[in-house]
Amino acid sequence: MSETVTLTIDGKKYTAERGRTVLQVATDNGIRIPTLCHNEAIEPYGACRLCVVEVTRGSRTRIVTSCLYPVEEGLIVQTASDRVIRNRKMLLDLLLARCSENEVIKNLAAEYGVTQPSFRQEYWEKNDCIVCGLCVRACEQVVGVSAISLVNRGISKEPAPPFLEKATDCIGCGSCYYVCPTHAIKMEDKNGVRRIHNWKVEFKLKKCSKCGIYWAPEAQLEYIRRKADLPVGFFDICPNCR
Amino acid sequence: METLSVYVPKLVTNKEYIASGHRACSGCGEVLALRYVCKALGRNTIISNATGCMEIISSPLPETAWEVSWIHTLFENAAAVASGIESGLKALKRKHGYIKDVKVVAMGGDGATADIGLQALSGALERGHDFIYVCFDNEAYMNTGIQRSSETPFGASTTTAPSGKVSMGQHTWKKNMAAIAAAHNIPYVATSCSSYPFDIMYKIEKARKVKGPSYIHILSVCPTGWRCPSSDTIKMGRLAVETGVFPLYEIENGEYKMNFDYPKLRPVEDYLTAQGRFRHLTKEQIAEIQQKVIVEYEKIKMLSSRKKGK
Repeated sequence: MSETVTLTIDGKKYTAERGRTVLQVATDNGIRIPTLCHNEAIEPYGACRLCVVEVTRGSRTRIVTSCLYPVEEGLIVQTASDRVIRNRKMLLDLLLARCSENEVIKNLAAEYGVTQPSFRQEYWEKNDCIVCGLCVRACEQVVGVSAISLVNRGISKEPAPPFLEKATDCIGCGSCYYVCPTHAIKMEDKNGVRRIHNWKVEFKLKKCSKCGIYWAPEAQLEYIRRKADLPVGFFDICPNCR
Repeated sequence: METLSVYVPKLVTNKEYIASGHRACSGCGEVLALRYVCKALGRNTIISNATGCMEIISSPLPETAWEVSWIHTLFENAAAVASGIESGLKALKRKHGYIKDVKVVAMGGDGATADIGLQALSGALERGHDFIYVCFDNEAYMNTGIQRSSETPFGASTTTAPSGKVSMGQHTWKKNMAAIAAAHNIPYVATSCSSYPFDIMYKIEKARKVKGPSYIHILSVCPTGWRCPSSDTIKMGRLAVETGVFPLYEIENGEYKMNFDYPKLRPVEDYLTAQGRFRHLTKEQIAEIQQKVIVEYEKIKMLSSRKKGK
């Protein structure tokens, strides 16, 4: 039996299981807190900082990232106070300066009234990646391959394959492409070949020997086949024809 | 999108907004599609649900399977109720500073959409309400016992269009609802199928972001009415798409885009012979269907190859 706690979010009382985060409890109850680097299947990381909220415990009020903050008895949370909005605006301003042409960032910033970065134009960048590390974490925690990692420090930090060469461990499953919040990872399936441009990799797609459609990258099927100890040729035909 | 199997599904939210324990038949493709639709919509949604399978199976008094705000409407007025809710929300925002981003969704089966509710739907699309209309098309009135609707395909046997000595079952072609919706010049129209979860979620997420009306037509496999084994639900949906019987495409501001383009279509025979409702069809009738399918498929392909401004 799990313990429950009572906390206040935006003036309303909610009960929640101990161990859950403020972000989880808020979204479960229909309170929207913007976030980019969060996915349920992946451990929270607190990279994008957009989920900041104001929490009051006793006489102390402070700004925390709600995706990492566990609920506590008697906690008072404000998800849209002036201070929170001010903080979030600043964060969006910085993100927009880095990703000045990214649609996701532009739309989110516009929601908070930030239509262009307040910095001098020479500092604007046309990046798509916000270095939240979601792709890296998905590759490690969900796929279990760790084909990519965050390399370098400071302003040159970026998700990349080892030594910035081809990602040799990549199986082409496309998780990084799917999970990326800002669509920074470019992947395409064309003429039986899957290319993930960011990791400089190319995969032949398996053609079903019966119906002839391309249905999954060969490397991924081989990885699964070996992991599950299936006979050679198990994946020759697609699930529809089986 | 659909080649993202095995690992990517783990990244999809595991929150359910339609609870298990509902009364749908085993192998129901419609409730499967509904589940994906709700996953993609998220919690801040108000659903106006017309009478039909999805309403009956989810809400036998005093129980409910819904974990989002939900209202049951009559067959004919799902879209009308949705437009009322949307206007109500607008007034709340204007007068009382309500700030939540709530999407209004109307849903109904093919009967509630293409037959009985068409007038209300047309009105709501024309007035430009900010809502999504989702049609779960299982190709007949399945809930009341497989009566024909205007979405029943040519040649299918139903209880009110039975096959026999004098009739070959449904003798009219399936009504093209996506084209009717697109004719209202709405921002987003799409077709999807219950066997393509990523496709459904992608299209619903896209529709959620659209300001204005959008229409999603989802072919939902019904093993009970289609007379096929309930274990073949996914296969049947995939066959419908791969044979070209039900192509998946989007119409964004009038611009067609084919989502699944196969270099070679499967013969429709694969799809028809797998279902009991088509088992009476003769070789000639199958050939007739094949011809029509190719013509329709090519039409959409032609439209999607045409770029804007040309």
